[in-house]
Amino acid sequence: MASTPLSSDSKHGGHSHVQPVWLLLGNMLWLMVLLIITWWASTFDFGNVVINNVVAMLIATIKAVFVIWIFMGVMHASKLAKIWVVAGFGFLFLMFGILGDYATRQFEPVSGWETNVPNGGASSFPRQWPPQKKPEQVGENFRPRG
Amino acid sequence: MAAIASDHGHGHGHDEALHHQFENMEQQNDSYIVGMWTFLVTEVMFFGALFLIYTLYRSMYQMDFFLAHEALNVQMGMINTFVLLFSSFTVAMSVRYAQLQKRGGVLAMLGITQVCALAFMVVKYFEYQEKFGHHLYPGPGFGSHPEYLHGATPNFAQLYFGLYFGMTGLHGLHVVIGMIVIGYLMAKWWRNSPMVTKDYIPTELVGLYWHFVDLVWIFLFPLMYLMPKP
Amino acid sequence: MSAIPADPNVTAVSATPRTETNYLNADWSIKSWLLTGDHKRIAILYLVSVSFFFFLGSIAAGLIRYELTAPAGFILESETYNKVFSAHGIIMVFLFLIVAIPAILGNFLLPLMIGARDMAFPRLNLLSWYLFMAGGILIMGGMINGGVDSGWTFYVPYSSMYANSNVTMVLTGIFIAGFSSITTGINFIVTTHKMRAPGMTWFRLPLMVWALYATGVVIILGTPVVAVTLLCIIFERVFHLPIFSAELGGDPVLFQHLFWFYSHPAVYIMILPAFGVQSELIANFARKRVFGYHLIAFSSLAIAGLGFLVWGHHMFISSESMYQGVVFSLISFLVAIPSAIKVFNWTATLYKGNIRLQTPMIYALGFIGLFTIGGLTGLFLGCLGTDVHLTNTYFIVAHFHYVMVGGAVTAFLGGLHYWWPKMTGRLYPESIAKWNAVLVFIGFNLTFFPQFIVGFMGMPRRYHYYYFAPEFQPYHIMSTLGSTVLALSFIIPGLYLTRSLSKGAKASANPWGAHGLEWETSSPPPTSNFDQIPVVLDEVYDFDPVTEHEQDKAAQALEVPSYLSNEAKSAESEKEKR
Ligand code: HEM
Ligand SMILES: [Cu+2]
Repeated sequence: MASTPLSSDSKHGGHSHVQPVWLLLGNMLWLMVLLIITWWASTFDFGNVVINNVVAMLIATIKAVFVIWIFMGVMHASKLAKIWVVAGFGFLFLMFGILGDYATRQFEPVSGWETNVPNGGASSFPRQWPPQKKPEQVGENFRPRG
Repeated sequence: MAAIASDHGHGHGHDEALHHQFENMEQQNDSYIVGMWTFLVTEVMFFGALFLIYTLYRSMYQMDFFLAHEALNVQMGMINTFVLLFSSFTVAMSVRYAQLQKRGGVLAMLGITQVCALAFMVVKYFEYQEKFGHHLYPGPGFGSHPEYLHGATPNFAQLYFGLYFGMTGLHGLHVVIGMIVIGYLMAKWWRNSPMVTKDYIPTELVGLYWHFVDLVWIFLFPLMYLMPKP
Repeated sequence: MSAIPADPNVTAVSATPRTETNYLNADWSIKSWLLTGDHKRIAILYLVSVSFFFFLGSIAAGLIRYELTAPAGFILESETYNKVFSAHGIIMVFLFLIVAIPAILGNFLLPLMIGARDMAFPRLNLLSWYLFMAGGILIMGGMINGGVDSGWTFYVPYSSMYANSNVTMVLTGIFIAGFSSITTGINFIVTTHKMRAPGMTWFRLPLMVWALYATGVVIILGTPVVAVTLLCIIFERVFHLPIFSAELGGDPVLFQHLFWFYSHPAVYIMILPAFGVQSELIANFARKRVFGYHLIAFSSLAIAGLGFLVWGHHMFISSESMYQGVVFSLISFLVAIPSAIKVFNWTATLYKGNIRLQTPMIYALGFIGLFTIGGLTGLFLGCLGTDVHLTNTYFIVAHFHYVMVGGAVTAFLGGLHYWWPKMTGRLYPESIAKWNAVLVFIGFNLTFFPQFIVGFMGMPRRYHYYYFAPEFQPYHIMSTLGSTVLALSFIIPGLYLTRSLSKGAKASANPWGAHGLEWETSSPPPTSNFDQIPVVLDEVYDFDPVTEHEQDKAAQALEVPSYLSNEAKSAESEKEKR
């Protein structure tokens, strides 16, 4: 059978790497430990809710990395597979840019929107600059709770 | 302009597992692996959009989501996570045995995986049943027993359960599809089909898919079951 | 070898053996078509089905245009009008534009151009056609069942709460068709990476392949998002899962975000392959290597990437944060740069080329002009301030028709003519085709240019009454006239191309004297594309315009232009038949 390389990037031949049992077993046990840490972290208060959430997601991400790197064999996979993994998650983060809208959007009622509009309300654009700080109690959406 | 390669015999007959469009097994295997990863990228985006929706709503209604999530059964979630992580391990082992061409090992490991998947679905079934019984399924009758809402505003709790059923439901669907595919693969191994015994790639592909299912759950579990108190 | 008659008495067929077997005559049974893994046959399956959907979409377009000739409408009820424009948009976007060039020309050409026997995953390719048909049938089913009136954009809460229940069926169809496009995308990517012939390095790839690759990337990153977004509406309608429902505190604008996160890149799914076709046409008919090959190749990838960063320009007035609006406006201007690079490079390629004004080239030149107008008006719309005035008017309708019809459809027609001899082994009649290409250009501009003006004057899109502004009527009448011309110019190729299947002269392997692996195999190619896998030794677009020009002149002195000899023969044979 011809052994000519068919394309420039087909020569890496790392796929058939057989993973040792100890690595797979160790990885599984480590993931179980991480799972218990996940549960523990959810009951522990690290200071405030943002940090708590970040910690939870961090642990989940670590778990994901171990699954991808070892179980899915990306450790030994071709460069292309690695690029694909990074690109996939990269674009996912890009999509999370959608949240940027909500972070910078002013929910109604927007200060300056409903009252005191110059030229008799002809324009709906808020005329105060910089816009007034968001009030604590804005509509249904941001109801602070105990 | 282009010369003709003289030494390229067609692959037929040389290798039973080689498809006609490929030159050799290496090219075929590489193609399948790249194809699978490309598919997994689409899956990442598929679930990613749902996670995005979830993130937004949870950040908008933190307290209500927290209160609503108390209706979930953390023990069951933990058990399911253990089961899935373990099944990921057995699938990885089955790939290993496939590489070593050990039919018995592959079948045993895939069998355990099937059992795990089934266990996962059974636990899910009981969870869903409980939620239905507590009138926590979104729709007209939602929250008719307010004691199960744990004080969450019904509307926002409904959003939470909408996402809960939508996301875990789609994930469950992936588990079921995985079970079907693994069953098919097992049948192939059982019948000693050269498609799988001569070539570990089909097993590897199924393994990759199964790990992805696990991966989704790794994020779903803390997001749905283990919210920190806001 | 060739046709094996089922009836043993029929011996006449086998008594006249064909000279060569190719993918078309290798097996005539219907089963061999419906179960084929051959990328060329799948392309033909797509060609037939997509043409059918295009026909249906065009009928809807005609209805819209005729309705708009009177300020208060005269053939359609308001309800019906809504359903008709929705049907037009849904069919044209999801069943024609997104599949046309990639799944027909791309499927046919990709393996041929890179010197492979087939796509990497032939069965997946076939599955993609079946998914497409299943999706198409569901969509058509929804329309026959009463139609949907939510537009092709399916904005919530209208589509999730108020619109009739056909929406569920149509959305399921789109969901399934989306998976057809994903499988095609996966195939393109893997094939480009793994199936290239020896010596076919990345920078020897024809630009069409680069474009298809970039399209594949956009498809796999974008389509799943819209799939799941539309699935959420289905969930909401069928399972009461409140994902976007505002009355429970959900956010309908989130739907728009997710929808446009796919649908802006989707416009590049439509136009990128057209760019690829365009590069091939310009190079071949200017007989010159494309100016700035690398720039064009990388600008395809740049468009694929940047295209994902501008979705917000469809939402400037949808309560999107104004800060994000500013950013999106800025990036929208950036995304025009790679498109402009391409336009400049094609134009530069013409310079000192040995230009042959044949049908595909006329389409290609038309493309440059029309796409430029479409792209530049895109900038009007991408500009935050002007968009507030122009959004939801006919200006937008004109903008996207300039890019999608003037761009993608023109390139599709050009490409179809260019590769027709390769696909079918027959030559089409050049002179009618040439005049028809001009007719497309005229009809198109007559249809859509007035829409810019009337849109700027304030004609809203998706309305069929404008009795409040009868001064719009002349523009609408002009537009309808143009659309009639345009319709005619789409029917004519349908007729002469079909006729050429039986009556056209046989095409040689390389009727254009073009350069590329697809022209090195016979027309039509054998089932396995190449008898032996070629080894690529030379660069892509290796034309020499100067010598070719001299050769042409010499040939003209002998009164038979060398590259036209085939054609001249075909014309003669046709005359004889008459
Ligand atoms: C040169 C780069 C382009 C820019 C800056 C651009 C900009 C825009 C903007 C800002 C809008 C939204 C207008 C509004 O809703 O107010 C729009 C609409 C649209 N564009 Fe483009 N565009 C470009 C190229 C294209 C291309 C290449 C295509 C298709 C092949 C396309 C297809 C569309 C479509 C279909 C819509 C209307 C969507 C709807 O139904 O609302 N555009 N464009
Ligand atoms: Cu856009």
